[in-house]
Amino acid sequence: MDDLTKRLLQRLIRRMPAQMLKTTLEKWDRLTAAQQQSLDFTQPKWALIETLLTIFEENEFTVKHITELEMLHVINNPNQGMWHAFHLMDPDDTAITVELTQFKEQFKSHLRELVRHVSIKIKKHTDEAVWIRIAWGDGFSKPNHLKPTYVVHHLQTPYVFVTSLTSKQKPLLSQALTLSTRHQGIKDANLSGRKLTAIRDLLMKQYQQVFTTRYPSPLEETNQPVSNPRIEREQAGLLANRLQMACEAFGYGVLPQLQSAVYKLETKYKDDTNKTMTEREEPFRCVVKFASSNLLESIRQCASSGIASTPVTPLLSSIPIKGRNYFVIKDNGLGPS
Amino acid sequence: MSLLKPFSKLPALNTANILLVESEEQFQQSLADALVEETAVTVNVRLAKSLPLPKENEESRPRIDLVVFIINMTSERSFKSAEASLKYLDPGYFLGKVCFLATNVRNASVPTEYLDAVRKLAASLHCPLLFAEDQTPDGVANATERLLTILKVAAGLVPMATALYVSSLTRCSVPPDIDQPSFD
Repeated sequence: MDDLTKRLLQRLIRRMPAQMLKTTLEKWDRLTAAQQQSLDFTQPKWALIETLLTIFEENEFTVKHITELEMLHVINNPNQGMWHAFHLMDPDDTAITVELTQFKEQFKSHLRELVRHVSIKIKKHTDEAVWIRIAWGDGFSKPNHLKPTYVVHHLQTPYVFVTSLTSKQKPLLSQALTLSTRHQGIKDANLSGRKLTAIRDLLMKQYQQVFTTRYPSPLEETNQPVSNPRIEREQAGLLANRLQMACEAFGYGVLPQLQSAVYKLETKYKDDTNKTMTEREEPFRCVVKFASSNLLESIRQCASSGIASTPVTPLLSSIPIKGRNYFVIKDNGLGPS
Repeated sequence: MSLLKPFSKLPALNTANILLVESEEQFQQSLADALVEETAVTVNVRLAKSLPLPKENEESRPRIDLVVFIINMTSERSFKSAEASLKYLDPGYFLGKVCFLATNVRNASVPTEYLDAVRKLAASLHCPLLFAEDQTPDGVANATERLLTILKVAAGLVPMATALYVSSLTRCSVPPDIDQPSFD
């Protein structure tokens, strides 16, 4: 094992908590039972790394094996790092017939054509997702395994999720993806977040949806707590109405755990009390960012408790409807971003 | 515009009625649950987001003995809403049948000017200003006890004491140097 391989392994082990390391190694299933037994996970990290290094050298594991282990760790803990969503556009007629082996081959060959030194690993996860790990190099240097890019794509869907991709690598990946999935183009879906599952659910609409009807269903039985007869709410109608409005915009069920939403404003400043700002010709530029551990849930709570006015403004309700959390707002409404 | 009047209805025997006004409708529910636990007198609680109260409840609504405005100090909206609601009250209420309850006062994000504004408001209306902790059960119990004391007097259930008399002792007063810059 050379120095680089050792460093790669050290970095990987350091990133994982001891308990997670144990389960990942068990799932990986490349160590013998005796080797598994010899590992003591209560030891400090540096001692554990030393033992693992000797075991890896005994088994003559290479970079390939370590990347395999890393991939397993990332697949099982996808909620790390910043995930960005991309949208494939204009599918060809044959796009629906793309299947895994074909996609694997095509993607690898297309990307290798573009970059000479690149290491690609593709693995299909149980939930139909295809995971791709790319370690980039350039014309002169070997692939850098310390900063791999991860790509998640569900075959036959137009969505791709990518983490840690630099702007230099973006066109290369885009081209390889569009060609191998037989689409015409790819664009930024303006959705990003730390939780892969959340942004996937939001884009693929895998949560309880609402369909507005003309005849609102009665809400009273579901939401009214049994209260004391001596406590009476004067504006009970308003409360029920607000709940209804909030649920119409965001649904009744569990919402994807989105963590932030960013609005870039490029609108004219409007405030009657501030003349100098209102009379300025150029738009007032600022960025408004909402952050929460579960943003959509928070907004629904704000609307139903009356902190935010109802009906919910289209600016907020378009997060679940359009499936994006980055907006550019111009004076003529939501811009194309 | 319908004014809420303190003496437009007859009182019921051994009953006190309290109206809790809070724009956020968070604290009022726990407070109401604690208030109705009182056994010595029958306490009826009405909850409202803001005044004026809807006309259709006019018939069923008992005589309101005490109006409490709950102001969350971390939200300016809550103060504005309470201020706007005040003009739907009959002047008769301000003779000891209104009080303010400020929550979240110890929160570090509350600007001092804001606390001053609330104190000035309470002082200008000759109303008591109470402070309460809404996060802990102890805080809720404490606030309930204080409100019940005022409520019993306001409902005329305490012999020899009237709301006006008590309010002249408990009303909020603004220290004369509130507008002076402080040097500490």
